[in-house]
Amino acid sequence: MTDNIVISTRGLNKEFIRDEFHVVALQDVGLDIHKGEFIALMGPSGSGKSTLLHLIAAMDTATGGEIRVLGQDLRALSDRQIAHWRNENIGFIFQSFNLIPVLTALENVELPLKLTNLKKQERIDHATTALQLVGLGDRLGHYPRQLSGGQEQRVAIARAIVTDPSLILADEPTGNLDASSAEEILTLVSRLNKEHGKTVVMVTHDPHAARFASKIRYLEKGALLSEGAVPAN
Amino acid sequence: MFRYIPLMLKNCWRNRRRTILTIVSIGVSMCLLGVIISVFHAFYLSDPTPDQALRLVTRNRISLTQPLPQSYRERIKQVPGIREVMIAQWFGGVYKDSRNPDNMFARFAVEPEKLFGIYGELTIPDDQKRAFERERTACVIGRDLANKLNFHIGDRITLVGDIFPGKYEFTVRGIFDSPRASSVLYFNREYLEQSLPEGRRGNAGTFDILVDRAENAPHIAQVVDDEFLNSPARTKTESEQAFVLGFVSFLGNVKMFLLSVSAAVMFTILLVSANTMAMSVRERVREVGVLKTLGFTPGAILGLILGEACAISLAGALVGYTISMMLTNGIRKSPFGGFLPPIAAFEPGVALVCVAAAGFIGLISSLVPAWGASRTPIVEALRSTD
Repeated sequence: MTDNIVISTRGLNKEFIRDEFHVVALQDVGLDIHKGEFIALMGPSGSGKSTLLHLIAAMDTATGGEIRVLGQDLRALSDRQIAHWRNENIGFIFQSFNLIPVLTALENVELPLKLTNLKKQERIDHATTALQLVGLGDRLGHYPRQLSGGQEQRVAIARAIVTDPSLILADEPTGNLDASSAEEILTLVSRLNKEHGKTVVMVTHDPHAARFASKIRYLEKGALLSEGAVPAN
Repeated sequence: MFRYIPLMLKNCWRNRRRTILTIVSIGVSMCLLGVIISVFHAFYLSDPTPDQALRLVTRNRISLTQPLPQSYRERIKQVPGIREVMIAQWFGGVYKDSRNPDNMFARFAVEPEKLFGIYGELTIPDDQKRAFERERTACVIGRDLANKLNFHIGDRITLVGDIFPGKYEFTVRGIFDSPRASSVLYFNREYLEQSLPEGRRGNAGTFDILVDRAENAPHIAQVVDDEFLNSPARTKTESEQAFVLGFVSFLGNVKMFLLSVSAAVMFTILLVSANTMAMSVRERVREVGVLKTLGFTPGAILGLILGEACAISLAGALVGYTISMMLTNGIRKSPFGGFLPPIAAFEPGVALVCVAAAGFIGLISSLVPAWGASRTPIVEALRSTD
């Protein structure tokens, strides 16, 4: 079972100073996520969900404790190595899509592949396949402004999976979408988990969204509640 | 890095109005810089043409405004290596309304039979040349002057003298072609001499010297000046290029002036470009965070932003230098062009300096915002609002 652990944290802490106030974002978080799991991280605003996600993606550094992702001790890597590691292993989906407005859907999806050794035609083929997978094969040349919110998020998902990462991290992926689009996006993420074996960690406020996950973990005031526990309020 | 170029160019075009305005601003400045550097190059860095390299000019050591005795001519001609010596006298004068810039052109009193021998690059039909040599009141004019004021063979031109008071009437007997600006009139020095009162005769403004070999010119110049070392009017003999620069120095420290204006122009472009790049980067901090999340390294982000700034600067340089070539060509053909060394409309060295300056400006102007963006932590970048 240990071999299947893709994310492991022990005594993870994150503290910072903001406007002269000492903030404890995460305290003593111990978490194991196994390969192929779909975990929803829930909790009120400021509970540390996004901070934990950022630490898993090596977008931020912990102030204490251990974190291993895909067997890699992230503290041992340089900035450059972390960037390459992230490109190869992590697909990140943002709440506000974060597509580059001057690039078409195809170009947006091709972007992470520019950091690989693939030739141009191969990059285009991969990006096209990813867009077809999310149902946007007919929108390759569209700019973000020409797409609906749901379509933009699907492009963002295609961008997240185009390098075939083992781990998909989603930060409130349906937060900016209407119910119908949210349903489509969650179905898509669920398919990536079930059909393509991707491990998914999703931060959400939405209990309906969390139901797509195979496991729900709650955070409260920076602390991870034990498995199966729910916040009192 | 080449695979990032399309992204770089698309980012340049993100805010079209701002990019176009920046390119225009840089273009105007680079145009000015291009003209100044072209003039600077022509004055101080260009090699003389083969014809120029064979010519020396002897003037009064005290000042160009002080004449020399015409008797020096025969003594100069005795110096070994000198093939020909001609007296040339700046005439000045006024043609019609002096307030009209079109009426400004250079006028020299010369020795007609020597003019086209010393200035071998001037070409004129033989019959016109002979008519100029024969007739005391004849003059020859450059093609540019003939075209500008619509002069033809046989036309009469009246000049009112200022340095040499009086009214002088000439008949156009020849129109010559020249590889450089030719807004100039040459007339017979004998006509001027005979019009002057006795006390003012027998002087020469300069002696234009033709030497046998270019490499002998510096030595010959020294020998000529040594010849008049103990004379009441000492001479200064120099290359034609140096003489023109001496002429230009009447305007002041032109070299320092050109360099100062160039520096001011560079600094202005730097401010414009830096402001644009700072705005452009500030608007995209969040995108920088996204790119980093996708795996872009700080170095790649730095390269993208620097490349973007360089692309905009180089586009401005291209526009500016193209316009500066047209302006330089205009200066070359203007009435003032005849007083200046030949200014090339396109000079590879000048083009290179403009491109290098543009690249330098692009790099320096964007270095601080690009460095800041590349070092911004991802989480902080993602938190920033558009």
